[in-house]
Amino acid sequence: MEKMKLKLLYSDLKSDIDIIERELENAVDSSSYLINDASLHLLQAGGKRIRPIFVLLGAKFGEYDIEKMKDVAVPLELIHMASLVHDDVIDDSNMRRGRPTVKSQWNNRVAMYTGDFIFARALEYITKLEDPLVHQILARTMVEICNGEVIQIEDKFRLDQGLKDYFRRIKRKTALLISSSCELGAVAAGVDAKTVRHLKRFGYFVGMSFQIIDDVLDIMATDKELGKPAGSDLLQGNITLPILLLKDDPEMQPYLVKVFAGTLTEVERQNMLHYVRKSHAIEQANRMSDKYLKKALQEIDALPKHPVKKKLRDVALFMGKRKF
Amino acid sequence: MNATYIQNSIAQLKTEIFMDVRHRTLQKYTGVPVLDENQLFYLLIPFLNGEEWQQEQQEAAITVGIVYAALAAHDHIKELDATSKEQQLTVLAGDFYSGRYYEILALSGNVALIRSLSQGIVARCEHQIKVYETEQRTIEQWYASMCNIESGLIAQFFELYSFSEYIPLMEKSLLILSLEREMAAYQRGQMTLIGKALEESVRRNGANFNSVIKEKIVHLKTELSKMLESASFLQNDVKRALHAHVEASIASTNG
Repeated sequence: MEKMKLKLLYSDLKSDIDIIERELENAVDSSSYLINDASLHLLQAGGKRIRPIFVLLGAKFGEYDIEKMKDVAVPLELIHMASLVHDDVIDDSNMRRGRPTVKSQWNNRVAMYTGDFIFARALEYITKLEDPLVHQILARTMVEICNGEVIQIEDKFRLDQGLKDYFRRIKRKTALLISSSCELGAVAAGVDAKTVRHLKRFGYFVGMSFQIIDDVLDIMATDKELGKPAGSDLLQGNITLPILLLKDDPEMQPYLVKVFAGTLTEVERQNMLHYVRKSHAIEQANRMSDKYLKKALQEIDALPKHPVKKKLRDVALFMGKRKF
Repeated sequence: MNATYIQNSIAQLKTEIFMDVRHRTLQKYTGVPVLDENQLFYLLIPFLNGEEWQQEQQEAAITVGIVYAALAAHDHIKELDATSKEQQLTVLAGDFYSGRYYEILALSGNVALIRSLSQGIVARCEHQIKVYETEQRTIEQWYASMCNIESGLIAQFFELYSFSEYIPLMEKSLLILSLEREMAAYQRGQMTLIGKALEESVRRNGANFNSVIKEKIVHLKTELSKMLESASFLQNDVKRALHAHVEASIASTNG
């Protein structure tokens, strides 16, 4: 149902998204059948293609040419894909989007080479654009995403962290790449600096809201909807916003002790999820996501008059209110 | 040009690479980036031979070194259990180094080298993953993979900066050194995955691993000597250094 809504939302971009889908397949074509299999395995798992969508929407404010925009949109999705392959090695995840991960289907090394291959293909692809600014933005983003992941590992199983730590982490983990997608689409389409700035900020706020919702869904959604056990973030030691808001709750404490000791039983996981779902933390987290969403919408208001503004608004609202 | 000058040049390159990828947390858990001094030596050969070597070429050489460090980090990831903090951060160290090489070249606007190195990484990954593919490969195909893994990125750099004439001797030298390492590892029972795959191909042919590899090394060394003799673009002291480097590295591998 939610996926249908998303498709409807993108309906007027459908032909361009189809071009990007085809290009994604071409981009991961390899002389190694194993890399081909692993890459296609990833592509076929689907995904919302949020980053390419934001590239295209950002570019609509300038000289929109899908032939040029695909050179930005495809690498951004590839970078996202590659980082997921490596993340699954780091998190020792066996399932993603309801399918076995590359590392579980093959092994960690195959995942590393596949990820490196896809990263390299992304960079090879984006060098079709000669503008150094495009590369500077993307390179900075890649380095910052990595820094964010390093911080995430350092923060694992640490309850002595505050909201600031969490927001700093999700900014780098998610918001930056979405922000850069909006920015790069606009830069590549020759959009003026002021509009680029608003689009970049819009992407940042949407990205923050998106990640908070993602963290809420990790608790609220079912194992089936998630394609992995609900609460996986916490089980892996990642302290997300709902958990952070409950870390001093006396009823939550025993669960946290067991999660950190690795002794939480399946029944206790279900009980813990039930407790968190009923708690104030979910509502509070949703409110924080809404705050970011509101800021994103304010950035849209500051953009020059253009029919695509409505689309940006619809996509932002969908992302901030999504159920999967 | 003497041995000290060469060593200093390699040491300087190494320092510059370390400076460009320094990261407090990564260094704490994963140590300094892994760099192969043999690769750095061959990377610097055009410079040592007096080719035009401005800031751009030096920066390019640094980024080639960074890419090797990135890929070497990922080579350290265990096949089945990478859950330790050290392993998790090693994954990120490789990604961080990749980001840094891209950032350095993006800042100087060297899009051509970004493209060239990306193509080199693509090819290297395709060769590296061959050990996990089921199709049977010939001994020569494994040599080609070893050659690409060792020298492919340096070749990309040489080609872009019109140092193409250095490629054959660099490739041969690094392959000799790689085969020597595999032979030594074979004696210790600690072969790399690609070494094992090569050994299996040799065995399938009903031959002896040591004899086949020794023969290949002799053949490569003969070819290298001929190449060095006829390489009019090389200064004599560079020729001597190249010859001495292979011999010295083999001696140190053997122990």
